[in-house]
Amino acid sequence: MSMTCNGFRGLAPTEFRPGPGVNVIRGGNAQGKTSLLEALLYLVTSKSHRTNSEADLMQYGQRGFQIRAAFQRNDREVRIEANWWDNAKRFKVNDVAQTRISDILGKVHLVFFSPEDVDLVRGSAAQRRRFLDMEISQIAPAYLHALQQYRQALRQRNELLRRPPVDPVQLDVWDAQLAAHGETVQAERDGFVNQLNTWAADVYSRIADGEPLRLRYRPDIRAGATFTDVLRNARGSDLRQGVTTRGPHRDEVEIEVAERDARRFGSQGQQRTAALALKFAELELIRARCDEYPLLLLDDVLSELDADRSQRMFGALNGAVQVILTTTDLTDHDGLYGADCTFFRIQEGRLDTD
Amino acid sequence: MLVDSPAVDRLVEAFRRLPGIGKRSAERLALHVLSAPADLAAGLSHAIEDARRRVKRCSVCRNLTEDDPCRVCADDRRDHRTICVVEAPAGAMAIERGGAYRGVYFVLHGVISPLEGVGPDELGIDALVKRVEEEGIEEVIVATNATVEGESTAMYLSRQLTPLGARVSRIAHGVPMGGGLEFADDVTLGHALQGRTTL
Repeated sequence: MSMTCNGFRGLAPTEFRPGPGVNVIRGGNAQGKTSLLEALLYLVTSKSHRTNSEADLMQYGQRGFQIRAAFQRNDREVRIEANWWDNAKRFKVNDVAQTRISDILGKVHLVFFSPEDVDLVRGSAAQRRRFLDMEISQIAPAYLHALQQYRQALRQRNELLRRPPVDPVQLDVWDAQLAAHGETVQAERDGFVNQLNTWAADVYSRIADGEPLRLRYRPDIRAGATFTDVLRNARGSDLRQGVTTRGPHRDEVEIEVAERDARRFGSQGQQRTAALALKFAELELIRARCDEYPLLLLDDVLSELDADRSQRMFGALNGAVQVILTTTDLTDHDGLYGADCTFFRIQEGRLDTD
Repeated sequence: MLVDSPAVDRLVEAFRRLPGIGKRSAERLALHVLSAPADLAAGLSHAIEDARRRVKRCSVCRNLTEDDPCRVCADDRRDHRTICVVEAPAGAMAIERGGAYRGVYFVLHGVISPLEGVGPDELGIDALVKRVEEEGIEEVIVATNATVEGESTAMYLSRQLTPLGARVSRIAHGVPMGGGLEFADDVTLGHALQGRTTL
C-alpha cells in the first residue's frame, strides 16, 4: 500500500509507504497522526470519523484536497483517488470516475479503531444497533434492504398513531409490513452477533489474560414470539404514547465481561478492551468473507491499555494483518510491536521514516 | 441566476416544480424557451392549458381522459369483471402498451402514506369497494409498486375486497424478461428466487 495526499488537514504534501506488518507512527499531540489515518479512512469510505463536512478536512487557505492510494487486494491492484475541489467531491477507482460515491464502499476494506469507540460498549443501545447495521449491511445487501423497508414502515405507522382516530385495518397493514421486514432484520442480527461473539470472545480472553467476554443478541421481540402478536398486544400503549413501542428498533446487544454487564459494571480497561475485541472480531469477519484481512488502523490505542495488555494485543494479532497505529510514546519498546515493524515519525504535519 | 429578471426567476421556479427537473435543467429549459422563436412559448403554454382544460378523471376508473367514461371503461369488448389497480396513469399506460391485458383499470393517484397525509379516502378506495359490491367483479389485480407503501396499499385493498367475494391478486415482482441475471440487483434476485415456480 502507498498513499499520497495534498491539502488535507494539517499534513504537508505527504507520501506514505507503510511496510507489511505493524507500522508505528510516532509523534506528539496535534502533529498530524490522526489526520494521516483519517485520510486513509476517507479515501476508502468517503467519510471521516470526526466530521461530516469536507470543508473541515481542507487545509486552511486551500480550495481543495487530494488523496490517492494504491492497495494490493488479492493480488490485484486497486487505486483510489479522492478529490475535493470547489465544494465538489470526486472519486476515481482505477482511473474510472465513480458516479455514485457509495460504489466505492467495499473496494478496499479497512477497520478503524479510535479511542471514541469505547462508546460501543459504554454508550447507548442505539450505538450498538448502529454498529450492527453498518457491519451487516456490508456483508448482506438483503439486510440493508429489509432495514430500510422496516424503518420506512415504522415512520408510517408512527405517523398514523399520531393522528387519531386510528383506523385499525391500516394499523394491521403496517404491522404486517413491520413483521415481514423486522423478522429478516432480527434473523440477520442474530446470526451476525453469534459469529462476532465467537471471534470477539477469543480475542478478548487473549488480551485480558483469560477473562471471558460474551456478546448476546437481545431482540426486543424474543425468539419464539410471533411478531404480529406482540405488536397487537402493544397496540393499546402504542395508541396512548403515539409511537411504536416494540420491535427491532428497540433491540440490544449485551456485552458481558467476567460474567457482568460491561456497560454498567465494566472498568475503563475492560470497556476499552471489549471495544477493541469487537474491532478485532470484525477483521476475522471480513477475512471470512473476502479471503483477505482488511487494513487495520489503530488510533492512539496504546494509551488505552496497560503494558501487559498492549503486549498481548500484538500477540493476538494475526501476522498477515497490515497495521497502521499511532502513538505519542517515543521510546523504543523492545519487541513490543513484533519483528515485522516499521517506524515513522510525524512532526508539524511532516512524515519521515524513523 | 444568469439573467437579471424576476420573470425569468419565476419561470425557472415553475419548471423546478415538475418531477425530474433540477435547478440546472430548469435554467436550461427557461433559457431555451426565451431564446427560441416566440411561437414556441405560445404553443407550449396553449398546449398545457388546453390539455389541462380537456382532461379530467374518468368517473368510473379515475384514469385521465377527455371523454367520461374513458375509452377503456366504455369498451364493451373488454372484460369488466377484472380490475387492475395501479398507482398512477403511467402504470395503466404501461400495461396497455403490453397489450396482453383485457380487463379494466382503477387508478389510485397515490398510495396509502400517513407521512404524506394520504389515506384510503384520498385514493377513492370507497368507489372501488362500491364497484366490487355492485358489479360482480371476479378479480382485482393489485399492481402497486414494490415499495413499503405499495405493499401496504395492496394489503389494505385485500382486507377490504376479499370479504366481498372478489379474488384479490398481486402482480409478481422479479427478473425482467430477456434481461440477463447479472443485470438484476441483489434484492430483486433474492425476491425472484423466493417466488420461484415448479417446472
